[in-house]
Amino acid sequence: MSVLGERLIQALGAESVYTEPEDLAVYAFDAYSEDRLPSAAVVPKDVREVTQVVRIAAECGEPIVARGAGTGLCGGAVPTHGGIVVSFARMNRILEIDTRNRRAKVEPGLINLDLSRATASDGLFYAPDPASQKVSSLGGNIATNAGGPHCLSYGTTTNHVIGLEYVDHRGEVVTVHQDDPGYDLAGVLVGSEGTLGIVTSIDLRLMRLPEAVRVCVATFGDVESASEAVSQVIGAGIVPIALEIMDKVITGAVEAAFKAGYPKDAGAVLLLEIAGLADDMDASEAAIAKFARACGALSWHTARSQAERDLLWAARKGAAGAIGRLAPNYYIQDCVVPRTKLPAMMHRVDEIVRDHQIQVGNVFHAGDGNLHPLLLFDRSRPRDIQAVVEAGSEILRTCIDYGGTVSGEHGIGYEKRESLALLFSPDDLATMRRVRDVFDPAQRFNPDKIFPSSASCVEVRAAS
Amino acid sequence: MSKFVPRAKPRTSVYDIDGRAPGRVLEPGDDQAVADMLRAADAAGDAVVPVGGGTLLGVGNPPRHYEIALSTLRLAAVHVYDHRDLTIGVGAGLTVGQLASVLGKHRQFVPLDVPRAANATIGGTLAAGWLGPRRATYGRPRDLLIGTTTALADGTLAHAGGMVVKNVSGYDLSRLYVSSLGTLGVITRANLKTLPMPAAFRLTIARLPEGTRTRAATNVQGLDVEPTAALLIDGFREVLPFELGAEGAILLAFEGSAVAIERATRSVRSALGSAGVPETRIIDTGAHETFARTLDAYIASVAGRSITLRALGLPDGALKREAAAREGIAPTAALLDTIVDLRSGDVIARVFVDGKLDQLAVRGTLSDAVAALRARLPEATVLARGLPLEGEIDAWGTLPPAIGVMRDLKARFDPRATLAPGRFLGGI
Repeated sequence: MSVLGERLIQALGAESVYTEPEDLAVYAFDAYSEDRLPSAAVVPKDVREVTQVVRIAAECGEPIVARGAGTGLCGGAVPTHGGIVVSFARMNRILEIDTRNRRAKVEPGLINLDLSRATASDGLFYAPDPASQKVSSLGGNIATNAGGPHCLSYGTTTNHVIGLEYVDHRGEVVTVHQDDPGYDLAGVLVGSEGTLGIVTSIDLRLMRLPEAVRVCVATFGDVESASEAVSQVIGAGIVPIALEIMDKVITGAVEAAFKAGYPKDAGAVLLLEIAGLADDMDASEAAIAKFARACGALSWHTARSQAERDLLWAARKGAAGAIGRLAPNYYIQDCVVPRTKLPAMMHRVDEIVRDHQIQVGNVFHAGDGNLHPLLLFDRSRPRDIQAVVEAGSEILRTCIDYGGTVSGEHGIGYEKRESLALLFSPDDLATMRRVRDVFDPAQRFNPDKIFPSSASCVEVRAAS
Repeated sequence: MSKFVPRAKPRTSVYDIDGRAPGRVLEPGDDQAVADMLRAADAAGDAVVPVGGGTLLGVGNPPRHYEIALSTLRLAAVHVYDHRDLTIGVGAGLTVGQLASVLGKHRQFVPLDVPRAANATIGGTLAAGWLGPRRATYGRPRDLLIGTTTALADGTLAHAGGMVVKNVSGYDLSRLYVSSLGTLGVITRANLKTLPMPAAFRLTIARLPEGTRTRAATNVQGLDVEPTAALLIDGFREVLPFELGAEGAILLAFEGSAVAIERATRSVRSALGSAGVPETRIIDTGAHETFARTLDAYIASVAGRSITLRALGLPDGALKREAAAREGIAPTAALLDTIVDLRSGDVIARVFVDGKLDQLAVRGTLSDAVAALRARLPEATVLARGLPLEGEIDAWGTLPPAIGVMRDLKARFDPRATLAPGRFLGGI
């Protein structure tokens, strides 16, 4: 037993500390890649235990990586240099729901969807809904400023966080709240991917469930015309609460897995949701349908029941999982372009994957200009890996050329840190580092994430 | 030719803070010129206070010293705007009014809801941390911001975010500059989300007779069609374009389709009617102007005789907090005008004294009244003032728990305290 292990056990008890390689293996990866084992993993029960872990880490000179559900797609929760992984599996309670003021206080290990489930009977919900919402934790959502289909209208995680409690680099508890005077520290902590502190409690905004909801499915001959329809709808000043596109590859996989009723023969499917007052539903749907038809929509279907709406969404959110049917491995890219550039960008993605002879599935938050090409490959074939890496990089560079960004909602993590240097100048990055220096002078929180290193290292993830 | 254009005759009145004029006014014409100017000032030890339209200079303490006012008014370009993207990139010195007119051509808007929009700049609105009454619906200004360019004290020009609506690429530093009152850097450019203008915008205004206020507020908070703004107003008669009843007035904004607004109006009439409010006026034509003049009240000062504070809180207890403020100042000789934001929970409290007291008595009375108000609402911060604070009243009140981190950030971004020294909380 290492000194580190002994000290952690002394502080947290043996039932909350893992130090054996077979126990640590589960903490060595997230949904992106496998990496090195941590020196120890801990599962604290409360904030006091988190403060003890941070102090022990400081005294032993060990890095700390906070971990939610491990669904991250960029290696953000992967320890790169041993250290302590802090799992929030036990800190998953709802601490308070204030229905009158539409707020909730939760622990970071709470699963995203569980909050909306707990508040539905009060007519409230938590809006950001990443596809992983059935399994991903709110702490992880905070770290990556997670998005989701409904961010089109409701905004991303940062727009819904009203306060945070975190443990700082000295092991002290700090609270920040949007109504406090002073700098917006919660705004900086959200999306900082665990590099500034360990969040231990979260105050979130809840929203009123809409009076009426309508979900429609339109089909198109190809992704570009579906993208054009989305551009036109947004350009005309109509903002539904979700505008999602799936291409034929994805629809095929999704239908095989979910049998939700998406037409399998269409080049692209547009899934859209409108919500609001019942009085407005017909007019809103008609306005969108008009643009869809003008852009060549082949069919239009309105979901008839809540069960059908739920199934259509479950299938859409399960798209990445369903893709396992098509290839042994996939690499999901996450990047964003201004909305008007979407049709051209999709055209370029098509050219890029053809050049590299890779099969692609496109499923994306079209209304936000947020692409998710899934590059399909077989890990056992070195040529495939090389082609995927090259195509992925080219897609990112193209996004930047179109005035976009390298991550819309998955984060930078370990995977994309070199890409950040393509997007930002050394001065921009040095300014971000000033913030890092203040919050974490010893660079103990989640090292090797976000900021570019001198050497690049790109890996790909396994679907299985 | 100098990159900076010093004004021949500084219009110092616009730049005065608590009666103190800057040593000089500089008006850099582009982002790099701002950065160069800051670097020079930093080296020379000159304090720089960034100033836009000067409408929110009543936020924050006076600077410890004030050699340079950096006007952003020449940074008024629209850098990027394709309305189909629903985003816009503008110079910090563009006024909110100018922004509205650019966006209005495409029936879009950015709901910043600032007072004196014709003068208020985008940069100033963001830096001063302005919060308007429609934010429960549309988000705070920080939620509408997707990217910034900022000049730091050492002359660094730093970008954060971008021109897309979803972006997780490095730290979200744009949020850090919002509400920093120019103490970390000078925002030179801001990229914002725009929104399509709803088909209709309607205000309903009702005068509240004796004994109707609490019921009216409660009923409005339970409406099935939510207003985008809900304000309970008592006072500010010299600014408002409508009459108040014995217990003030309730102003609601509704936006959406014509059908939705008609439905909302029926609900409001019924909700207010059952609270004993006899008449609810509808304003369609001129609704935007009426709303704008209501916003002006937030920072309307009585020359030499008023201090306005804002206390943020929860919507549910807003009315009680207002009542507590009223009780607090009752023993003093000061009077109180208030706006209670029923959706966001703000209490805006303008403490003032009538014209009979002499200047010395005015100062003493206001000082006592602010202290009494803060005994009940310790979160209250100064939003506007008609006379200098002069060290007797701190603009910020209670320090937040994270003040230590804030001080460390200031030291890392502006180690020589060049930017607006002393304007922020805790002496930052």
